[in-house]
Amino acid sequence: MPLLSLRDITKRYPGVAALDAVSLDVEAGMVHALVGENGAGKSTLLKILAGAERADSGVIELSGETLRLATPRDALRRGVTVIYQEFALVPSLGADANIFLGMEPMRAGLLDGAAARRDAGRALAELGAAFDPSTPVTLLSTAERQLVELARALVRDARVIALDEPTAALSSRETAHLFVQVRRMAERGLGVIFVSHRLEEVRALSSRITILRDGRRVWTGETAGIDDATLIRHMVGRDVEYERLSRGPDDRLKPEAAGNATSDEVLQVRGLTRRPRFEDVSFALRRGEIVGLAGLVGAGRTEMARCLAGVDPWEDGEVLLHGRPFRPLSPGDAIARGVAYLPEDRKTQGLVLGISVRENTTLPVLRRFVRRGALDFAAERRAAAEYLGYVGLATATLERPAATLSGGNQQKVVLAKWLLANADVLIVDEPTRGVDVGAKIDIHRHLRGLADKGKAVLVISSELPEVLALSDRLIVLREGRVSATFDAVDATPERVLAAALPGGRAA
Amino acid sequence: MSGAVEQHPSGDAVRTPKLAPQSARSRLARFGVPIALAGMTVLAAATIPEFLSPANLTTILLHVSINAVLALGMTFVIVTAGIDLSVGSIVALCGVLAAKTLTSATLLGAVGPLGAAALAVAVGFGVGAGVGALNGSAVAYLRVAPFIVTLATMTIARGTARLVTGGIPVGYPDPGAPAYGAKVAALDVLHSLGGGRIPLPGLPGGFPVPALVMIGVVSVGAFVLKRTRFGRYVYAVGGNEEASRLSGVPVPHVKLSVYAISGACSGLAAVLLLGQLRSGGPDAGTFYELNAIAAAVIGGTSLLGGTGSAWGTLVGALLLGVLNNALDLLGVQAFWQEIAKGVIILLAVLFDVWVTRTSAATATK
Repeated sequence: MPLLSLRDITKRYPGVAALDAVSLDVEAGMVHALVGENGAGKSTLLKILAGAERADSGVIELSGETLRLATPRDALRRGVTVIYQEFALVPSLGADANIFLGMEPMRAGLLDGAAARRDAGRALAELGAAFDPSTPVTLLSTAERQLVELARALVRDARVIALDEPTAALSSRETAHLFVQVRRMAERGLGVIFVSHRLEEVRALSSRITILRDGRRVWTGETAGIDDATLIRHMVGRDVEYERLSRGPDDRLKPEAAGNATSDEVLQVRGLTRRPRFEDVSFALRRGEIVGLAGLVGAGRTEMARCLAGVDPWEDGEVLLHGRPFRPLSPGDAIARGVAYLPEDRKTQGLVLGISVRENTTLPVLRRFVRRGALDFAAERRAAAEYLGYVGLATATLERPAATLSGGNQQKVVLAKWLLANADVLIVDEPTRGVDVGAKIDIHRHLRGLADKGKAVLVISSELPEVLALSDRLIVLREGRVSATFDAVDATPERVLAAALPGGRAA
Repeated sequence: MSGAVEQHPSGDAVRTPKLAPQSARSRLARFGVPIALAGMTVLAAATIPEFLSPANLTTILLHVSINAVLALGMTFVIVTAGIDLSVGSIVALCGVLAAKTLTSATLLGAVGPLGAAALAVAVGFGVGAGVGALNGSAVAYLRVAPFIVTLATMTIARGTARLVTGGIPVGYPDPGAPAYGAKVAALDVLHSLGGGRIPLPGLPGGFPVPALVMIGVVSVGAFVLKRTRFGRYVYAVGGNEEASRLSGVPVPHVKLSVYAISGACSGLAAVLLLGQLRSGGPDAGTFYELNAIAAAVIGGTSLLGGTGSAWGTLVGALLLGVLNNALDLLGVQAFWQEIAKGVIILLAVLFDVWVTRTSAATATK
């Protein structure tokens, strides 16, 4: 008998079935991976399991006993813990207080802080956490917060843990540590549901896989019994792999007639330093070129991009834009001078969720639509519609609040916004994070199209296949310094990874 | 549940073409407060015979005007997710300084009553905008919480107003005071602004000038918020400051400006009040900030920032005005009026929460 059994779970939202009779069995001691494109129904399934949403029909059984989960509290009490990507932690409280939130140990009617600290410390130590249990969560890294969530599940005697994309913001070392802990929890007899977009992680961790597509279960079986190509085909209903868009030196845009090599260099970065984030970073971006910036999370890629975009100041070094000194005072200044930055987190940095898609798209270049002091709505709407249409969004979405779009479409809005800005240098930070495969390929093509128009593009991505497929040249950062540069033809995943890993040697 | 849903949680927005551009609920959200105002007006008209008389209606407008001007400035601030508690104290400070300008014997000798009145208006407006800009600088550049900054300004401005006047209102001169005639004349000039009425056929007493000022200020505010780049920035900063900054929006400049606008509105309100009462008192304007916040919130401005409108705020101010007036005419005790106002504020906010929650429930992730 499986530990957890979901049978024929159906959930309808008006006009659409988010889940259509989905069944899922999780055995004790096993990791069961749940995969599917965005919108396939994974999040809805997890919400139902967490008691945050109620299924319209279907049965949830734990050890053969039917569960009725009306609230998240019910689920927690029955030993079902769902750990979301956005953690459910109170940042200002200590790790111990968070771990025992809602079930604080009491003594004589008062909080027993010592007991909480002791027991939280024990659970955290078991998970290999090296920080003081009273540390406020706000001071902890993403990986450490994840351990706090896991410790919380441990002290609650969880029997089933569901992890929603737990590695999205982790470095490979942190991921490895997390996997060790998850395996240990499984060995203790817990059932684990693991949701991830990263197939190599699914392979490393899970013994069974369930694939969802459009709210239906399309495949369940042994992880060993399916190859990547088949898996992806099931996920998207078609064959996809990243189209290789990188170009060798010969196919790139030719320098303008009689131009020398340096006139082609749009952006030159020399010895850029902002301690302790990055130090002595030098490289050049040429027009018509996509350069990939690879490296682990925390290697200083985003921090450097933010400096170039005028978000943060740098300490040392110089930057030349079109051969002239460039030191932006603010993002607005950088945009006005032709350097645009697409930030990594679309919800907190990329979009104003409460205003419309049109208003988001035109925000960086609103100046263009001012006629005699007032905004020319018709011109604004035309421009927004043109660029949104170009990235594949229907005109019907123009006036909707950005919050109502799916993640993939939100990312397309962000892209349209920066395409409209028409910058000479576009820095994109994780341009396809949390976006389904089809949308990823669209975004890749748009970036290539931009380069083909003579722009320079710098791509930051933690997904190695993506950087490799997209870049003409690759720069690898390791602990804040450039550890290697590659031409596309020479870059292999192994060589790039070796250059990115701390202690590794540049190939 | 209404049938029209904006977005299911996991679906693709583009693939749901059936959705109505505006659901019944979002229409209700937009027109809920105007409907409440209309309902209250009808109810008052039906139960109180004198309510609908032109004289009474213009009285309501007159009484609402100062609060509406303040609430408009407040709307700019609240849309950026800020708050301005110093509004009432700035009214007092601007009022006494404008009054001192207006009744200064030397000034009257030099530029005459008309010139002194013009200068007084400039002083009120300028001091208000200046103090507001100080608020804004502290919020934008020193990154102090708006609540704290404006709380400090609230007591500093009040204290300053009392300091410069010795706690005594500045205004109508004692008979026999130097330049008595000129002072009275100057006060009269300003009174035509703060208490004057424009004769209209069929309207006994005429149309109050402050109400005209109110309509003008709200119209300009609505235009700025909806039709200008600055207005768009105000909403963007309130909706997501970080995303706005990364999009090149000059966030500190926007923040400084909204507090300066709120201060300028306070200065204008102070001039109107001075004209109306022919006196600028250091204790004037007490609790005005709370009435302004109430009008903005009833009118649909969220304290979380990112939403609100000038016309909504005007409707909010009118709703409070109609309520006060109706209860006055019914002879309801003032104490009950305060309680009724509190209930209205609560209802408005509950309505807002309900609308936001039900529309957000269909629009997550």
